[in-house]
Amino acid sequence: MTLVVMRNIRKFFGESRALTDFSLTVESGELVCLLGPSGCGKTTALRILAGFEKADAGTIEVDSESIGSVPVEKRNFGMVFQDYSLFPNMTARQNIEFGLKSRKVSATQRRATIDRMLQVTDLGDQADKFPHQMSGGQKQRVALARAIATSPRVLLLDEPLSALDAKVRESLREEIRHLQREVGVTTVFVTHDQQEALAIADRVGVMSNGQLEQIATPRDLYQNPKNSFVAKFIGSINRIPATSRTDGLWNVLDAILTGSRAGTELEHADAGIRPEDITVSATHRESANAIIEDSSFLGAITRVKLMLNGVTTIYADLMSINATPFIPGQPVLVGVRSDLETTIIF
Amino acid sequence: MTKFFKWGFLILLALFFVVPLLAMARFAFQSVPVALLTGETWLKGWSIDPIITASTDPAMWSAAKTSVLLAVFTSVLTLVLLMPLAIVTEIKAPRMRPWLTALTLLPWVVPPIALVVGVSVTFRTGAPWFLASVFSLVPFYALWAMPFTYRALDAGLQAINARTLYEAARSTGASFPTIILRVILPNMKASIVAAAALTTALVLGEFAFASLLLKETLPTFMVNFQQSQARAGLALALIILIFTALAIGIVVRTLRRRGLNVQTTGL
Amino acid sequence: MRLWQLFSRANTDTRIGIYVAIPFFLFMALFLIYPTVAIVGSALSPGDSGFSFSGLGNALSGSYRQGFLNSTALAATTALIGGILGLTLAAIMRSLDRPRWLHGTLDSWSAVASQLGGVPLAFAFIAAIGTQGLLTKLFGQLGININDFGISPTGFWGLVVVYLYFQIPLMFLVSLPALNGLRKTWREAAALMGASPTRYWLQIGIPILTPAALGGMLLLFVNSFAAYATAYVLDPGGALVPLQIRFLLQGNVISGEEDLGYAIVTWVITLLLASLFLLTYLQRRTLRWTRS
Repeated sequence: MTLVVMRNIRKFFGESRALTDFSLTVESGELVCLLGPSGCGKTTALRILAGFEKADAGTIEVDSESIGSVPVEKRNFGMVFQDYSLFPNMTARQNIEFGLKSRKVSATQRRATIDRMLQVTDLGDQADKFPHQMSGGQKQRVALARAIATSPRVLLLDEPLSALDAKVRESLREEIRHLQREVGVTTVFVTHDQQEALAIADRVGVMSNGQLEQIATPRDLYQNPKNSFVAKFIGSINRIPATSRTDGLWNVLDAILTGSRAGTELEHADAGIRPEDITVSATHRESANAIIEDSSFLGAITRVKLMLNGVTTIYADLMSINATPFIPGQPVLVGVRSDLETTIIF
Repeated sequence: MTKFFKWGFLILLALFFVVPLLAMARFAFQSVPVALLTGETWLKGWSIDPIITASTDPAMWSAAKTSVLLAVFTSVLTLVLLMPLAIVTEIKAPRMRPWLTALTLLPWVVPPIALVVGVSVTFRTGAPWFLASVFSLVPFYALWAMPFTYRALDAGLQAINARTLYEAARSTGASFPTIILRVILPNMKASIVAAAALTTALVLGEFAFASLLLKETLPTFMVNFQQSQARAGLALALIILIFTALAIGIVVRTLRRRGLNVQTTGL
Repeated sequence: MRLWQLFSRANTDTRIGIYVAIPFFLFMALFLIYPTVAIVGSALSPGDSGFSFSGLGNALSGSYRQGFLNSTALAATTALIGGILGLTLAAIMRSLDRPRWLHGTLDSWSAVASQLGGVPLAFAFIAAIGTQGLLTKLFGQLGININDFGISPTGFWGLVVVYLYFQIPLMFLVSLPALNGLRKTWREAAALMGASPTRYWLQIGIPILTPAALGGMLLLFVNSFAAYATAYVLDPGGALVPLQIRFLLQGNVISGEEDLGYAIVTWVITLLLASLFLLTYLQRRTLRWTRS
């Protein structure tokens, strides 16, 4: 069931365009990530949904009901901010209670809800602490508990993990995912971190210049990027010279691939190939097409930097257990994994 | 808050700030008594003679000279006392910073009158020669300016990230004096100017110490002068006020533009 | 001897620290601590007759008690009114971003005006609301005698008006950082949780601002209590503490009166010291809240 529909939203700040023709639908219980570089309009989209900003054009519906003119207080949304935004003069418990009081929940029920929230966010021992006595991760968990305590129709997360350090970020990321599934709350999550988005979301919407470039499941987005922006933004990708064939396919290294554009339009172009789709094998100098420049061991995989045909720098990700220890200066033969069928043409 | 309330408040406050100055200017530069002020006479009798009267009084110039010298000496003394301490505290013992902040606020606990009393008790018997000189005011002014000076210097050190600068310079093998002279001090020019300017403004307007220790500085001269030459005294006061205001205003604005927030209050 | 050994054994950093701190502490000891201790000492041994609290007691009786009451009333009144008006001004300026020049001008002006508690200010108000003042005349023509409301530069409310001239800008400067410390997201979070603006202010905005506002008013109180120059010009009768001290110590020196002066000074120092302790505490609390 579709819960949130944002249609053709446009928003200007003075002269600058924040959103141009932005449309998004979110299914009930789904976790959608809006991902993009800073200034792409993702936060503006979230703030318009929350009601902090008014769209210049377009409609917003929740549950098939237009909410464009419903004030923030009446929308029944929950939100977690990047800066935690906990009220500094209240304990964790009082912070969580704040929203319940506005909803006129009875005292006994309030206590039950708070206790449940503290338990699911693993904050039982922090209940009576003030924000300044807590760590960043704890503060953000209180903020999360506060946001979902009122059983909001939609949970909005505005870069909630950006202010935390790497380790806490990862564990809280999983916790958010787990909690979201358990409570079943429809969630819109804004971030600029693609790893975070891929790890947590049911669907990821990639934004640039105030528009949604593509929205799809993380796997789909990675494997079938709609355009070069998405391809470059999600994961890393090599640009490898390709030549077109008369049958409309493309020659890329040793492979023949279907391109995102027909090969008859252009003779030469760059094909986007992911590092893990590159194969590297040791060979004689005469038959080599590349030279090893460097290789870095990253644990499970080894990332190899290569100079292809003396002009193009590319990277290959090889399983460490299969990777022969290559040495810089070694001539190698670079190819494309045999089961790869399509590629994106820049 | 409605727009009406906001602007009404701002306009009333602006009037509160401006009207006394205008009244002062009128009294100084118009020779018509208030009682005779009507629709016909309000344009009559304006002249800048009072400024001339004030500026031709040699006593004014000698008092002004004293005040300027006091300002210079005080600025130098506060900088000499506080600058090394502020720098060393910041880069070597940052944990002492709150202590120094509190310590430099101490002069405000003892009001000028109390300090003068204390000094009379102690110095008059021990070192009477000290209080005879007009420059005996310098240490008191230095004390009084201390909270401002320290905060301006500290803000400057924070703004240039002095500790990181020091560590970076240290890693290149520079010696301690070299780092201070070639790295820290040149970067602190703005806050040094701010500290000196605030001290100068403070000294030029200071009345309590000078009056209590019976020294003739610009403010004490002004009070005496005003009793004999009412209008010229006010003209002088107005000019000094405008001059000080412009000086502080320009310093604050240029420093703000350079990204340095001058702490003008004791906080 | 032992000290010297400790010193020569200390590492370079410590030694630099000591070199740098010595002149500062010597200066503070000579010109601040020594005189202060001398006063307090004299106050506690009136007439050189040994330790006694009688001097401190006398300093709070008769006309001197009245002086303290006057000064405290003046300081408290200007701190309260100046505090409220300065805070309002800061709040208004924070909500207005349209005329850019107004912000710069007001910032600079406040920096200047907050330090204007001197002689020129007193003159300006005599010219405005004195018996021969421009405003006195102006209101007089409208049939209002402002002196009837106690507004003359030498009356209590007149002094309040004059002091407000530097108290309002001071409060403005002090409360701006605190107001800027109120985060936009607090208000947004409260709104999303269904709180009305009134509830936001009552339960979040005002409680968070209170320590900073109280701290600011305390600073105004100290500032006003110790103000001397304005009082000197406007209050020749000497109804305020700083002027009473002056009369006692510079007027005809009658034996015993000096001790009374020391006792009053001791009380003033105690009062201001207590205020500044409280001020530091409130500031720390404000910092803790706005940072977390």
